[in-house]
Amino acid sequence: MLQKKICLLGAFSVGKTSLIQRYVNKLFSDKYLTTVGVKIDKKQVTVGSTDLTLIVWDIAGEDDFTSIRSAHLRGLSGYIVVIDGTRKNSFDVALALHKRIKTELGDVAAVFALNKADLKAQWVINHEHIHALAQLSYPVIETSAKLDQGVEDLFMGLARQLVPENSEV
Amino acid sequence: MSSFLSSICRNINLIAFTRNPIGQFTPCSAMPDWLVFFLVKPEDTGSYNLIEAFPYLSCFIEDAEQHWQAKCAEPLSSGVWIEIDELEHELPLEASVMYLDGQEVLLLQQLGEKYTQDLSRLQQVRNGLLTQEMLESEVKRRTLEIRKREEEIAIKLVSLTSLRDEETGAHVRRIGLYAAVMAKALGWSSEAIDTIRVAAPMHDIGKIGIPDRVLRKTGVLNDEEFNVMKKHTEIGANMLRGTKIPVLAMAVDIALNHHERWDGTGYPQGLAGEKIPISARITTIVDIYDALVHERVYKKAMPEDEALGLMQDMAGRHLDPHLMAVFLSLLPAMRRIRLEVTEENEERSDLEETEEVCV
Ligand SMILES: Nc1nc2c(ncn2[C@@H]2O[C@H](COP(=O)(O)OP(=O)(O)OP(=O)(O)O)[C@@H](O)[C@H]2O)c(=O)[nH]1
Ligand SMILES: [Mg+2]
Repeated sequence: MLQKKICLLGAFSVGKTSLIQRYVNKLFSDKYLTTVGVKIDKKQVTVGSTDLTLIVWDIAGEDDFTSIRSAHLRGLSGYIVVIDGTRKNSFDVALALHKRIKTELGDVAAVFALNKADLKAQWVINHEHIHALAQLSYPVIETSAKLDQGVEDLFMGLARQLVPENSEV
Repeated sequence: MSSFLSSICRNINLIAFTRNPIGQFTPCSAMPDWLVFFLVKPEDTGSYNLIEAFPYLSCFIEDAEQHWQAKCAEPLSSGVWIEIDELEHELPLEASVMYLDGQEVLLLQQLGEKYTQDLSRLQQVRNGLLTQEMLESEVKRRTLEIRKREEEIAIKLVSLTSLRDEETGAHVRRIGLYAAVMAKALGWSSEAIDTIRVAAPMHDIGKIGIPDRVLRKTGVLNDEEFNVMKKHTEIGANMLRGTKIPVLAMAVDIALNHHERWDGTGYPQGLAGEKIPISARITTIVDIYDALVHERVYKKAMPEDEALGLMQDMAGRHLDPHLMAVFLSLLPAMRRIRLEVTEENEERSDLEETEEVCV
């Protein structure tokens, strides 16, 4: 079966692990347990008539103490950049990461997740930010790992970019 | 391997492999219990495909290969990854490779306690960073709120005077917006830009102390009346003076000096050139622009090009020529403010606000 390596990137505590947990295991926890080291999960999806296994790499969040190893990006077919709508800083980190990956890997499939949509009242990411993201011409999807909103769309949004178009129905 | 060394390996949860020519890994120390779940299969041949067992290693093997080829004896580490074991516990693992005695060696270690310590240290650091980020954004939000209130109070103050003279709320707001555009172009800090946006509208606040017979006179003022009128600069400054609020401090400068002229022929002090605070020099320019291009009770609106011509004549005499040039370069932005912030629009947004309140 077709296998594609994808990874979730973004500042620490934006919800990378939570989105994967929600998508793969249908679980969510409010407690913040930071990820140290890489965790790999698998999930089978079907795009059109193509069955596909997503190999999902959960990479530790980026901050002043940890930065992403280039080796982790080897063989990457696509990535999800996660932004925490309640934290402006996570928006800046997302743009910087996206830029770095583009220069390192060239054009690979990507999707932006605006996570914690259940906390919209506390969002500091506004229309202008979202507009700026949309300009990069990758899908931007609002998600809530907590309420299971947009999570399926998020991963499918990426999976669809990974399957050659002629095999789609 | 001696049993002594084997015991050490067991104690630190480490296993050593050598790689054979077909790329399989053969253990050269005892297989630890925690590893059996991942490696051992019924058709066990005694050597293992570690890359298949641990997909994480797929991103490491390229570097490892180079390391072996270069015959490096120092260990090269893979970085930490997490596996889930048969008890559904997280198992932190790390591999390192080296070239020893003609052998391609791979060490695999379960990090255990060391990982837990690193984890809890990082958890603390990140929790701390989150709290800090939260506090910072809370401070930002509150500062913004206070700013907005200051602005509202300023506008309310100014509206006291506009009850008596003919200046409108829209004019007052435009002055602040034009001034802020100038300040931004001049590279002011964002706080200073906010400050002038609130302070500039207060330039005429002293008119509240000018008697009606002068303030509301429709004809030309005589000398005595003009002298009374001039007092609005000092009255305004005195009204606003004596606080530690930055907005009011700048408002004092502006109220006092917005009728000073670049060549020193203005009032009340006859200051010249850069002796006149820059906030006031900016306000003078934008106030004249706005007054010229808008209709007043006592005069018609002047076409913009005519107004600009007039102002260019004033540059170097009445107006700061450098700031005038800056103003001209910003004309499109000024024009947008002029067309967007009008009496009608202001009334409409007032109405909308009232409606919202009613709902
Ligand atoms: N309200 C809300 N909280 C969320 C959501 N997603 C994640 N969280 C919470 O945000 C915190 C961080 O989530 P994680 O999934 O651990 O974040 P991460 O990006 O993996 O963090 P690192 O591994 O440290 O980089 C946790 O407390 C989660 O419960 C969401 O959609 N809504
Ligand atoms: Mg995580």
